[in-house]
Amino acid sequence: MSEVKYLTEFYHLPEFKGLEGYKKNGGYVQLAKALKMQPQAIIDEVKASGLRGRGGAGFPTGMKWGFLPKNDEPRYLLCNADEGEPGTFKDRMMMEKAPHQLVEGMIISAFAISCKKSYIYVRGEYDDSINALEVAIQEAYKAGLLGKNILGSGFDHDMDVYRGAGAYICGEETGMISSLEGLKGQPKLKPPFPAVQGYLKKPTIVNNVETLAAVKYILRDGAAGYRKYGTEKSAGSKLFSLSGNVAKPGNYEVPLGYPLKDMINVLGGGIKNGKKLKAVIPGGSSAPVLTAEEALKATLDYENLAAAGTMLGSGAIIVIDDSKCMVECLANLTHFYHHESCGQCTPCREGTGWADKIVHSILSGKGRLQDIELLVKVADNMKGRTICALSDAAALPIISFVTKFRDEFEYFVREGKSKVKGTAYKGHAYAATASH
Amino acid sequence: MFQLSPQGKEKVLAELKRYESRQSAVLPALYIAQAENKGYISPEVIKELSRVMELPEANINEVCTFYTMYNKEPVGSHHVQVCRTLSCMLNGAKELSEHICSQLGTHLGQKTKDGKFTVTEVECLGSCGTAPMMQIADKYYENLTHESAMNIIRSLK
Amino acid sequence: MQQQPLINCTINGVALQVKAGSTIIEAMYENQQKIAHYCWHPGLSIAGVCRLCMVQIEGNPRLQIACNTVVTEGMKVNNTSDQVVEAAKWGLDFHLINHPLDCPICDQAGECGLQEQYMEFGKYNSEMSEKKQKKHKVVDLGPTVVLDSERCILCSRCVRFTDEVSKTHELGIFNRGDHAEIGTHAGKPLDNKYSLNTVDICPVGALTSKDFRFRQRVWFLKDAETVCNGCSTGCNVKVYFNKEGVFRVKPKRNDAINGHWMCDEGRDVYKFVNKEHRQIKGQKFANGQWTSELHAGAAAKDAAISLKGASGNDVALVVTGQHTVEELDAIVSTFINTYKTKNIYHWWQSDSEANEKAFDGILLRGDKNPNTNGLKQVFAKHGIATKLSSLDPAKVKHLVVVGPENIPVYPEFNAILEKFALAPNLIYMTSAKVDSLVANKSLKSATIIPLKTYIEKSGTFINHAGVSQTFKKVTTVVSEALTVVEAAALLSGEEIKIETLNPKNLFVAANKPADQVTLDFRKKNEFIFQRGKL
Repeated sequence: MSEVKYLTEFYHLPEFKGLEGYKKNGGYVQLAKALKMQPQAIIDEVKASGLRGRGGAGFPTGMKWGFLPKNDEPRYLLCNADEGEPGTFKDRMMMEKAPHQLVEGMIISAFAISCKKSYIYVRGEYDDSINALEVAIQEAYKAGLLGKNILGSGFDHDMDVYRGAGAYICGEETGMISSLEGLKGQPKLKPPFPAVQGYLKKPTIVNNVETLAAVKYILRDGAAGYRKYGTEKSAGSKLFSLSGNVAKPGNYEVPLGYPLKDMINVLGGGIKNGKKLKAVIPGGSSAPVLTAEEALKATLDYENLAAAGTMLGSGAIIVIDDSKCMVECLANLTHFYHHESCGQCTPCREGTGWADKIVHSILSGKGRLQDIELLVKVADNMKGRTICALSDAAALPIISFVTKFRDEFEYFVREGKSKVKGTAYKGHAYAATASH
Repeated sequence: MFQLSPQGKEKVLAELKRYESRQSAVLPALYIAQAENKGYISPEVIKELSRVMELPEANINEVCTFYTMYNKEPVGSHHVQVCRTLSCMLNGAKELSEHICSQLGTHLGQKTKDGKFTVTEVECLGSCGTAPMMQIADKYYENLTHESAMNIIRSLK
Repeated sequence: MQQQPLINCTINGVALQVKAGSTIIEAMYENQQKIAHYCWHPGLSIAGVCRLCMVQIEGNPRLQIACNTVVTEGMKVNNTSDQVVEAAKWGLDFHLINHPLDCPICDQAGECGLQEQYMEFGKYNSEMSEKKQKKHKVVDLGPTVVLDSERCILCSRCVRFTDEVSKTHELGIFNRGDHAEIGTHAGKPLDNKYSLNTVDICPVGALTSKDFRFRQRVWFLKDAETVCNGCSTGCNVKVYFNKEGVFRVKPKRNDAINGHWMCDEGRDVYKFVNKEHRQIKGQKFANGQWTSELHAGAAAKDAAISLKGASGNDVALVVTGQHTVEELDAIVSTFINTYKTKNIYHWWQSDSEANEKAFDGILLRGDKNPNTNGLKQVFAKHGIATKLSSLDPAKVKHLVVVGPENIPVYPEFNAILEKFALAPNLIYMTSAKVDSLVANKSLKSATIIPLKTYIEKSGTFINHAGVSQTFKKVTTVVSEALTVVEAAALLSGEEIKIETLNPKNLFVAANKPADQVTLDFRKKNEFIFQRGKL
């Protein structure tokens, strides 16, 4: 298996960003075709393609669309471009290099689910993405691809971009909906699920950038054609964001089922600076960490990674070399989740802070041996107890780091210094970075 | 007392009509007001927005304090935001922010004496493949070394 | 009315039928099953954030929250399994790790949700060895409420109250994660007519009432139910008192009258009940001076003697809607039967009747008398339809006035009293001290008879909507003061018998106990009234 250029076929062409160049390379052909189809036929095709949500949860897209009530109620399509999962930067590339690919995918999807208004919620920091999308949407309006009676089909659709303002939790679909409503980005209680009551309490579908972009290719190649890549249960290709201690970090599109080993050693050019592989977080910072040994056996698809006790998540692969201290790495992540917890549910609000304090107390040489056990207990009791999955996302790295690299944690508690680095923790005072 | 400029007010009023609900305009309105108030949101800014938008102050303040991109304190003319999260940390983000602070003679979160810079560490900016990186204003600066970062910072007026 | 369909379910092994659409927590409450919770409140929207009301549902591997799960046919639920108890213990621990251990100086102690849960599920040593989160203390939220953010567990009840009930939107939760704090925005304090409900629904000691804080330990207070006499809504309330007097008033749930709430004005009504504001003794004015104080009963008997033989147009009676139906009927009957007069007048709070129908859309009404409707019914029954404006006190020989308890809501009180003072013989019955009457220079002959207040008697108020609410005596503050029934009997020349109440006739057909984790599980500490001597 090797890298593929399926969604990313024309990403090397700067002209692909503008409407002209996009059209020259097959753009909006599928939209014209879709507008002549029965909406249900599009949904059926997406269902048959096996496309699963590319944002992190991997939920089958066609099935999600199928949850919409069968009535005339106004409904919304929201594109989740609040790419915040540490390690992930694929959506940003897609929006910057191929904004029309997303816009086309969204219009087709909106037509399929009979939706007249869609928003692309982009994280506030992604200025280039927002600009690219705004230009693309304007171009599309001018070309009659958005607005009233698109391409003479009788189908009306409006699209707008909404800028986030810096909150990881807005990547959670109901948190994003709250934010789009102009509120704090706090996830909403489920039930009701967004497909029934979402944005402004109306039926709402939220899909990731890459998911929506893929819809056009499913139309072009048919479900069977789309399944040319990937495995039975993990169909298609996917963009992976490779980062950390590899020689050639970046976004790589590979068929699902691609070996993680090759991702690191072939595409990533191996570990930087002659160091050795120590650990890999395969699906964004929320995914349980794999040891080098586990990582070398894994393949990049939903099932294999689940079997390995972790997850594909957003497809963000963070590679850690053997010169890094796992206590420090975990402290970095507990700080992240502590900072990003929305504060609504008690176990997450208090648990993320508590866990962060425990890890930092170990890191500052003040840890107690029982703290290691306590850390796992705290994490265990944060799991599955909250409105959204942030609590789980915070808990899973804790449990996997402590379980798989326990010796490093115990050494730190006993010796007051890092087993790997041989030094005590040097860094900013905890409080200085915790306030925000 | 902070007051929106006529253009700012017009923009806020346009945002109120732009989305399906008026409340949705709160996030964009805070950006508009922040740009007009030297890069931060003070209690007076919220009062003004509440007046213009006819929404409760507490409601706007909740939103303002929830998101990191609204500054609640005055910041330097250039807000240097160094990403601190794992991929960047693995590539020396902490050393980078320490270097920048020591070169500018300041600490994290504090304005430099001349008021030009505030350096903060922020969580993942989605630029992990080009670590370490920083954001100043709307722009990303990637694949930084200590030298390249300082060159960029010193080039800012 | 259409019968609501019922759903079968089993909760903690008990087979139940509940209304379709009930959530598990509602089903458990209806059936007196205990369940821990902080954020859920039956009068507010569901937040689902405290994560304490975890239940196990057969067939579902994950624990669910009872407040946001609707009961379905055949559902089997428990909250007693080891898994749920462990989750509740941890849920509590997450609440406590940053909560200060200042119970000894906390006003909520004794009625605190955290204390309740700790005694139920906790009783362990905290494993938290790190420093607790620092937050704002003694935050002045507004004229009535003080906040201690460190005690706050961010259940969001108070925020939801100001958003959904008072609709005043003063409160918000600012910042996020464990930095989050309740607060108001600068220059926009928590200042609305319902603000103190936030204190009632605060499950911990984060929000305290400026009026009540530090004044009494709750376990030194008894409580009893009555009907608020602050206005014609007739909210059902709980009055908290001890031998020193009344200390606070809280709402008591009654969906037909006040739901879960009451206004801040109604909470102040207790103040005129306490001794310092009361007419304690009878007083007589004759020959240009006040004689020494006399017993209430003696004052009434003296008054009866002065009335002896009076009849028809010699006599006039003035009453207010601040007394019970029973009292009004007794005094009106006395004057019709004994003194053969229908010179009976309704003294309303103000000359202008425009405010009588005023209503703020929530609970507060412009008619500040709890029983104007009752008074009107008594008048109608006896065929009385005279106007106070037609009364000339100087033209009658004897004027008997049953004055209001709540004087501040009678803006023209002193001016009217001036007129009454012109009567050749004024008999004024009052529970409140009336300094202006005592100081009045135009008095000729007068008697003041001390009355009991609404919490010191049993009776009935008929509210604005015609709902008749019977309540029983809460406590006695001024023991010798008379009810109007007793005064009426004495004025008619009879001796009075002390009646005992039939306990079956007690309080209104109110609803089941409201949610309040705090109060309902609290055992009333009777010991302070009953303990022996060493």
